[in-house]
Amino acid sequence: MNEKNRHESVKSAVSDEILHDHNHDGIDRRGFLKCMAWAGTGAFCVIKGGVLKSYSLSGLPFIGGHEHKGDLTFVQISDSHMGFDKAANPDVVGTLKAAVEKVNALPAAPAFMLHTGDISHLSKSGEFDTVDQLLKAASTKDIFFVPGEHDVLNDDGKQYLERYGKGTQGSGWYSFDKNGVHFVGLVNVLNLKAGGLGSLGGEQLEWLEKDVKHLSKSTPIVVFAHIPLWSVYPEWGWGTDDSAQALSYLKKFGSVTVLNGHIHQTMQKVEGNITFHTAASTAFPQPKPGQAPSPGPMKVPEDQLRTLLGVTNVTSVRGKHPLAVIDENLV
Amino acid sequence: MKKQTWILSMAVLLAAFAFATRPANTFAATPDDKSASEVAVKIDNFSFSPATITVPAGTTVRWTNHDDIPHTVVSDDKTFKSKVLDTDEQFTYTFTKPGTYNYFCSIHPKMTANVVVQ
Repeated sequence: MNEKNRHESVKSAVSDEILHDHNHDGIDRRGFLKCMAWAGTGAFCVIKGGVLKSYSLSGLPFIGGHEHKGDLTFVQISDSHMGFDKAANPDVVGTLKAAVEKVNALPAAPAFMLHTGDISHLSKSGEFDTVDQLLKAASTKDIFFVPGEHDVLNDDGKQYLERYGKGTQGSGWYSFDKNGVHFVGLVNVLNLKAGGLGSLGGEQLEWLEKDVKHLSKSTPIVVFAHIPLWSVYPEWGWGTDDSAQALSYLKKFGSVTVLNGHIHQTMQKVEGNITFHTAASTAFPQPKPGQAPSPGPMKVPEDQLRTLLGVTNVTSVRGKHPLAVIDENLV
Repeated sequence: MKKQTWILSMAVLLAAFAFATRPANTFAATPDDKSASEVAVKIDNFSFSPATITVPAGTTVRWTNHDDIPHTVVSDDKTFKSKVLDTDEQFTYTFTKPGTYNYFCSIHPKMTANVVVQ
C-alpha cells in the first residue's frame, strides 16, 4: 500500500465515525450493529441488553457507575506482534507496556486477562519471552491465551502448546468457569486450507458441542478465539469457515459474547443472542475492510498511533445480560 | 561481401534484442548449472505476482516477500513448503516434473497461485 492510500484510509477512519443516532432507543437487534470505536474519535462502546451505546471519552466520568462495576471484570488484549519492527510501529514493546499500564490504571484490578493471539510476530521463543516478561507487570497474573497464526509458524503450534497450552485439549482449546460465566477458548489458526478462512475443525467442534451441552440456558457464555468467528471481510480472510456450526451450539443460551482479535481494529455486531466484538491490537492498526489494497500494517502519523491501539474491558453483572464491552485506547 | 556484413550485423542486432527482452530473472541461474533458469515471483500486498507462471521443467522459482507481514509458500499437496518468510526473505524451489502446482500462503490461505511446468 502506498503512503497516500495509507493516509487516506486513516483520515477516512477518523472522520467517518460510525456513531449511532442517539435519539434511537433500540437498535434492531437483528440488524447489523457496527461500531468502529476508533479511539481517535474519543468514542467507546458499551453493549447492554443487546443495545449498543456509544459515549465520548469526555463523558467517561458520568457513566463510570454500573457499566464499570459487576460481578466479574476482565480485560482482553490482542495482537502484540512482539518482534514486529516495521514503520507501522517500531516500538511494539513500548505499546504493550502502555497497554499493561492502562490495565493497571483501571479502578479495580480485573479478575484476569485474555490474550486473543498473535502474541509474537514470528513465533520466536525470544518474542514469547519478552511478552511474558512485560505481562508480569500487570495487576492480574491470571492470563488466558489462544494462539494467533503468528504464534504457530513453522511448528504447527508445538511451542505455543508447550508454553501456553498446559491442560488444554487438541491444539490448545479449553473452557473454564468464573463467577458463573462459562469461558471457551478456541483455536482457529491451524490446518488452514488453500483459498479458505480460519478453521476450527471437526475434532474441536465435537468437543465444543459436548462442552456446552449440559450448561443451563441462563449461563452467560464468552467465546474467545483469534480470527473472527463472524464474517467480517472474507476477501481478506477475516472470518472462519466453520464458525456457523460452532455458533449453532450456542443458540440456546441467553447471553453469548464472542471476542476476537486478528483485524487490529475494534468492531461490534449483535445478532440474536450473540454479541461479536473484535479488539484493537497493542502493536499496529490495520485498514478498515476493503479500504486499502491489502490488510497489511497501516502506517499512521506517530501522534495518532496510540489512539488506534488499545485494550478491551469487559464486565459481567450477574442476572443482567449481556456483558458490557468497553474499548479504551492507549492514550 | 557487403550483403554478408549486413546479414551478420542484423543477426547480432536480433540476438542483442532477444537478449535484452528476455526477463532479467532468467539469467539468475547458478554459475555451476548453466542449463537451469530462474523465474521470480513477488509476494506483495498479500498476493503472489504473477499469480500464474508457465515454465519449462528444470526451472527454479524464487519467491521474495516484499510485505511487512510474514508469508509462506506451500503447495496444496505439500510437494514444497517454505519456512515462514519475513520481509525480504526468499524461498526457491526447482520444478523438475511437468504439471500444474497450486500453492498458497498457509498463514493467509486466501493467497493462492500456481506454477504450470511444461
